[in-house]
Amino acid sequence: MDWAQVWEIVSLPDNIPIVAIAVLVPFYTWYAARQARATDRLIAQLEADPQMAKTHHRKIHPFRPGWARELPVWPYLLRIEFLAALVVTLILMVWSITLNAPLEEPANPNHTMNPSKAPWYFVGLQEMLVYFDPWFAGVVLPTLIIVGLMVFPYVDTNPLGTGYYTIRQRRVALAGFGIGFFIWLALVFIGTFVRGPGWMWFWPGQTWDHTRVVYEVNRNLPDLFGITNAWLQAILGIIAIAVFYAGSAWGIHKLVTRSELDRKIYERTSLTQYVVFQFFAITILVGLPAKMLLRLLFRIKYVLVTPWLNV
Amino acid sequence: MATDNNHDAEPAGTAPDPIADRSLSGPLLIATILLFGSLLWALYDELFAERPWKRYQEQFVRTYSAFLEKLGPRQAAAEKTVRSSPAFQKIEAQLQSAEREASPRIREIEKELAGIRERLAILKNPFQDTRARIAVLTYELDHAGAGRAKDAIRAEIREVRKGPFRIEGLDSGGKRVALTFDEMEKQFGDLKSREAALNTELARITAPLRDLRRQRSEYLADNLAGLSPQQIEGLQRANRDSKIEIRQIHVEEAGLVDRCESCHLGIRQSVTLTAADMGNPVFVSHPNRTLLAIHDPTRFGCSPCHNGNGLATSSVQKAHGNYRHWLWPLFPKENVEAGCLQCHFGDRVLDYAPVLERGRDLFEGKGCIGCHRYEGFDRPTEQLNEVRKEAQSLETRQKEARLEAEQEVRKGDAAESNEEAQKHYARAESLRVTASSIDARLESLEQRAKYLMQDQKKVGPNLKDVRLKLRKEWIPVWLRDPQAFRPGTKMPKFRLAEEEVRALSAFIWQSGLDGPAPPRQAPGNAAAGKELFETRGCLACHSIGQPAVGGEFAANLSRLGEKAGYDYIVRWIHNPRERTRPYCPHEKRDLGPEDYAKHGQPFVFDLQNSRCPNDGHQLQVQNLTVMPSLRLSDQEARDVASYLLSLRTNASYADGVAWMDDPRMAERGRQLASRYGCGSCHEIRGLEDAPRIGTELTKEASKPMEQLDFGLLEHKAKDEGWYTHKGFFERKLRDPAIYDQGREKAPEERLRMPNIALTRDDVRALNTFLLGSVDSPFYGKFNSIPAQFRYIPSDRRKDIQEGWWLVKKYNCMGCHTVQIGQPSVLSGLPRYQDPDWKEQLPPTLVQEGARVNPDWLARFLANPAISQAETNRNGIRTYLKARMPTFSFSPNEIRVLVRFFQALADQPVLHLAEEMQPLNSQERLLARALFSSEGAPCLKCHLVGDANRDRFATAPNFLAARERLKPAWTARWMLEPQAISPGTAMPSGLFRQDGGRWVFAGPTPASFKEYKGDHVQLLVRYMFQLTAEEQRQLLQKLPTAPAKPAGAAAGMR
Repeated sequence: MDWAQVWEIVSLPDNIPIVAIAVLVPFYTWYAARQARATDRLIAQLEADPQMAKTHHRKIHPFRPGWARELPVWPYLLRIEFLAALVVTLILMVWSITLNAPLEEPANPNHTMNPSKAPWYFVGLQEMLVYFDPWFAGVVLPTLIIVGLMVFPYVDTNPLGTGYYTIRQRRVALAGFGIGFFIWLALVFIGTFVRGPGWMWFWPGQTWDHTRVVYEVNRNLPDLFGITNAWLQAILGIIAIAVFYAGSAWGIHKLVTRSELDRKIYERTSLTQYVVFQFFAITILVGLPAKMLLRLLFRIKYVLVTPWLNV
Repeated sequence: MATDNNHDAEPAGTAPDPIADRSLSGPLLIATILLFGSLLWALYDELFAERPWKRYQEQFVRTYSAFLEKLGPRQAAAEKTVRSSPAFQKIEAQLQSAEREASPRIREIEKELAGIRERLAILKNPFQDTRARIAVLTYELDHAGAGRAKDAIRAEIREVRKGPFRIEGLDSGGKRVALTFDEMEKQFGDLKSREAALNTELARITAPLRDLRRQRSEYLADNLAGLSPQQIEGLQRANRDSKIEIRQIHVEEAGLVDRCESCHLGIRQSVTLTAADMGNPVFVSHPNRTLLAIHDPTRFGCSPCHNGNGLATSSVQKAHGNYRHWLWPLFPKENVEAGCLQCHFGDRVLDYAPVLERGRDLFEGKGCIGCHRYEGFDRPTEQLNEVRKEAQSLETRQKEARLEAEQEVRKGDAAESNEEAQKHYARAESLRVTASSIDARLESLEQRAKYLMQDQKKVGPNLKDVRLKLRKEWIPVWLRDPQAFRPGTKMPKFRLAEEEVRALSAFIWQSGLDGPAPPRQAPGNAAAGKELFETRGCLACHSIGQPAVGGEFAANLSRLGEKAGYDYIVRWIHNPRERTRPYCPHEKRDLGPEDYAKHGQPFVFDLQNSRCPNDGHQLQVQNLTVMPSLRLSDQEARDVASYLLSLRTNASYADGVAWMDDPRMAERGRQLASRYGCGSCHEIRGLEDAPRIGTELTKEASKPMEQLDFGLLEHKAKDEGWYTHKGFFERKLRDPAIYDQGREKAPEERLRMPNIALTRDDVRALNTFLLGSVDSPFYGKFNSIPAQFRYIPSDRRKDIQEGWWLVKKYNCMGCHTVQIGQPSVLSGLPRYQDPDWKEQLPPTLVQEGARVNPDWLARFLANPAISQAETNRNGIRTYLKARMPTFSFSPNEIRVLVRFFQALADQPVLHLAEEMQPLNSQERLLARALFSSEGAPCLKCHLVGDANRDRFATAPNFLAARERLKPAWTARWMLEPQAISPGTAMPSGLFRQDGGRWVFAGPTPASFKEYKGDHVQLLVRYMFQLTAEEQRQLLQKLPTAPAKPAGAAAGMR
């Protein structure tokens, strides 16, 4: 275990946000979950007691006599936001005093740094290049992610769960976003802490060695079956992808129609909405990690191989 | 609950509202206090933490003012001593008496002047006021319209002029007078002119006083070491008033900003500050003021020489550039001269950079250049390759042109019309002319190749001659550990396995030439040989004995006898350039007598017969050694060889070396030899064109760190802080195999660089050289070396640059002093410490360019014996035992050397001898008398070409002067030889100044009473018009057989 190496990476000013994420995301996930559970309990309480539901106006606190029915934004919300602003400003002040901008040497066109890493918020994209061709990882997937985020409101027919934390009422949405966010963070973490010189895989604590040599030969899916004919390769790839999409669609469908509530919501969804949802869910939430695992565990480079495009 | 605006009053006593009832005052207060605290922290950071130079400046002001305080009284005391010195007192007394003499008149004048100034002051206002009014009226008059208007203005002017102006105090009585403007004007003018006259007189009277005062202060300045109390006071004031601020040098045209002086405040102070004075090494003065004056920091800044980040001020580490992202960290103190190399790339020898020079000496001398290309070193080899390539392409073009011409002729023959045929013929003709014009160019290339082959040298000896020269059994012994056999040798120790040693030995032995063998030689006289070896100048390059005596330029010859054969050594000493067989670079083989016999030619090859009998190309007819021929006779060569071989300790080597004749071993050895780059330093059959096997080092220190292979030591280096270029070079030089440590490598993949015997200082010198080997890119404001800072002269300084490469190549400094203050190797030898032997030292060359005619110098360098017939002697100083050798310089090198000496003495390249005014018969008589007078017995020491007289001569023959010397230098030489060449036997003070001319200081013949000319000039003219006949006549006047005047020369000195 090369602690010096670990410290060198973790203490890099560039990586501070990611180290912060490693702490903050779990904390706030836990915190939000706690809130959500409290709300869920309240929801259960209200559902059990319709009378109470009629008089209850605050969404997360069970009703108590003597409390105001509604609380205005000023001062109750704004004062908390102001406190938060003060704390964030304080953090930024301390951060900017203690760490200087991580400037490096003047660019030298004859010399590329190794590893050459994108800024932390793009490291995830860079890491995707390992699993897909640049046109796919750099253009198609980011576009799909953005478009996917944009279509969220339009495919979401669930009227519940706005303005308060809840798990029960938004299982599908939470799971979908949670998985996507987790994939994105995983990519960033791999790119930052695991990828060393030559973009090679170094387990945390392993020394980043410029001269390290690894034996990793990638192959394509058709090679596993010994198919060399280009047509057959393409057909095999298309079949494999079709099977993958069908299987995933079936699995997702099972998942999104598991509970009573989910089925109700599913019934409110139009076919177009559902197809769009399925497409993005399969491509990004299942396809991306599936391809990562294929590549990392089975050294499979492409599934679909054609002379024009490879996936 | 206070802010809850709920109308429906609920019963009290319920649980508090988690939102409305919670007060955030506490957290808000804490956050606010912390935020305010962070603001204070930011201010502190901004003002102090990020600006450490402020503390340095405060400290400097404190310690510097304490230092000046201490310095003040010391300098005051020093000044007092100067003031009490008699010379100062004399000036003081003169000044006082002059002042006494002049003071009555001065007082008078000053009194009168005071009166005048007073009256002028009274007059000035009314006069100037009126004059201005008149000027305005005159202007109006000029621009007035009709006659009547003009008349009115004229009347007004008259009125104004009339006045009257009542003025008080104009004369001593103090009464009021009434004046018109004209009167006033006259008075004013008179007063002014009187004032001017008085001032002039005052200036005249005080002129000698001023002069004396200036003398006094000059004397004070000249005799007071350091600063005067006034100057110190000035410094103190400046120090007190200094503001705490960034101090930067901004060189705008170079885009350079250096803020080094924000901390290094003492660097340019006029007082020399030491670390002890200031209590902190940061504040010392620049250690070399001369260098600083040449490289004025306001023009060059600091970082172009020293590197580092001149802009950074936030920490010492940042400012010195010692962090990962600064590509040009400060040069370490011990390698500070590396900075010189960045601009002085072409200067082989550089004043004030002895470590760098030593580094380059080692790079060349230890044979690093054999494997590592480095721009500027070993130029002939590279130029030769270019010339050959060019010749090849020209030959191809010529062939093509000829072929095409033939085709054109055929086309012409087959042409339909006459017209067309003519066109083809014309084209064919022009092609033939083209082809033949290439001949001229080929011819000149061929000549260049010949000269370059003459210039080309190798670091090690020619191994084609091993069979003729060496003991067979000795070769493996040598290869195993050259340093053990001959400590300090250039040959490095290769890390060879026993099997490899054997294979290499076998290859080298079998690749040697069999003959023709050098002729058998009779044994010589070792005692005579020892004397010759020690006096002819061999020791300028070679050393002998243990501890070694002599130069380190070439090998220590103590154990020569244990390895080499007598016959070969005799031939070598007689002429080291003599080859066994000529090498044809075209056929890539050595030619033997059979090749010459095929063409019916005798087996003769030298610089005159240097064409290949087979193909007409230039042959390599010399050994590629820098060792010159000392023009020894055969007998002398035998004596020296006998002496050298007599030193052997009769070591015996293993006999069983039959494997050295095994051809299979030789094949393996051949692979090893090309792997280890043996052909880079040695001439080996089959490896003549072996490429350099090492990496080019010209810009090695600019390589990104990742490209330096630290092997498994990379992480160790990072941990221990030597992951730098310096750390890499240093360890690699000390142990070239170090970066193989711990790695599993096949023998043929291991690092090849051999172990070179280097001392700590050697490593430092080489490291300095390598660290300076940078390619400093011009990155706008991130530049390291602005292009215009580089020293790339195109005038005579370029000649100096180029010359030094040759001076170093041939070790001229072994015998001669070339640079002021540089001792030659010979002058340091025990033998030459004896005063009689001091006269035997070769001449100093510091002013050679001013002394000699360049044409003569060129002839001399080509043939130092001057004569074709009589070669076993020096050409000019035949009395010297040390011999100026024949280097067989090519014309190229002679040109470079001659230009070098001319440039060094600031002489024009083209020398046109001045016309000498002929002597008339009277002058000739006078000069002859002086020349042979008792007081100036010139011919006692100078050679005259008479064997009997020349036995004790210690100076050149006058007959050579006309062709050899320059008259102006000769005159200077006669006046002050000691200043030109300290220690010369030529006496100084022969002449004394008499009015505007020099006259002979000793007793002059009676006839000189009449002569009014300059005696030195007379002698120079005589000397330059001296004929052999005249010299004979002179000699007849002298006593016939001079006895060696015991210590005469010393007495004259």
